[in-house]
Amino acid sequence: MTHQAHAGVDVIPYTTQVRPDTGLTNPKLGIWLFLASEVMLFGSLFSAYALLRMGAPSWPDQSATVSVPLAALNTVILISSSVTMVMAWASLKRLSLSKYRLYMGLTLLGGLLFLVVKVFEYTDKFSHHLYPSTNNFLALYFTLTGLHAIHVIAGMVVNAYLWMPGTKMWATEPERFTNRVEIAGIYWHFVDLVWIFLFPVLYLL
Amino acid sequence: MMVFGALLVLTVVTVAVSYLQLPMTPTVVLAVFIASIKAALVAMFFMHLKGERPLVFWSLGLTAVLCAALFAFLLWSEGDHLTGTEFKDAFDEEVR
Repeated sequence: MTHQAHAGVDVIPYTTQVRPDTGLTNPKLGIWLFLASEVMLFGSLFSAYALLRMGAPSWPDQSATVSVPLAALNTVILISSSVTMVMAWASLKRLSLSKYRLYMGLTLLGGLLFLVVKVFEYTDKFSHHLYPSTNNFLALYFTLTGLHAIHVIAGMVVNAYLWMPGTKMWATEPERFTNRVEIAGIYWHFVDLVWIFLFPVLYLL
Repeated sequence: MMVFGALLVLTVVTVAVSYLQLPMTPTVVLAVFIASIKAALVAMFFMHLKGERPLVFWSLGLTAVLCAALFAFLLWSEGDHLTGTEFKDAFDEEVR
């Protein structure tokens, strides 16, 4: 079943009703399949790390090269932003747009803080003349955290849209808007999840 | 909220364990294990996987299997340094 959101324009079907064959809404299945592909992307980089480290005659002391306290802080920031993202969606379920705005704003703040800490970390490395080209560990470190940071930025762009201009849909199709926030939330939790693995592998091992 | 608390506790545990300075293999196993618990908590509760349709579980399960296969095949083909094996080409002229 399609919705006619604007005159003569069809939109994606099954955004609020589930499809009879899958039992899911289209966006829900779509985001999980997309995340499955992202798992392969980060998985391949993690296995590159495993291989390079195992085959290397020597490996720098990771916790001496990169800052564990900063990364631990970033872990807490990201986990907290995941919590506020869930609260944002829950607020919509409870039909409170103002609460939603608050929590989504906090989620965006969390993402921003994460990136600020990252910028600080990177510039600190560069000022000590530590670049991706310096050694294998740093190459992997910058690639993995850089790719992750790009994913954070992309998530923030979506969240920012849903925070401000996107809320127009709340007035006309609240359920569809709630589902949009839920899907964006699932992506955001994935970004958090990748960091949960990145933190011990790159900083603590 | 409880999940949030549990995640914070596990983060502290992760950092604390790193100070134990165990040999490499137990360290890796332990780190991945703790990270997997945190990941499972995020996935089940924040991403609402608990109570999700089987189709989603199966898709993710397939992904996990393929990811594990990726690691396994790479280790098998490139892990000679670890196991001390050598790759002998079928066309090696050494056996003379």
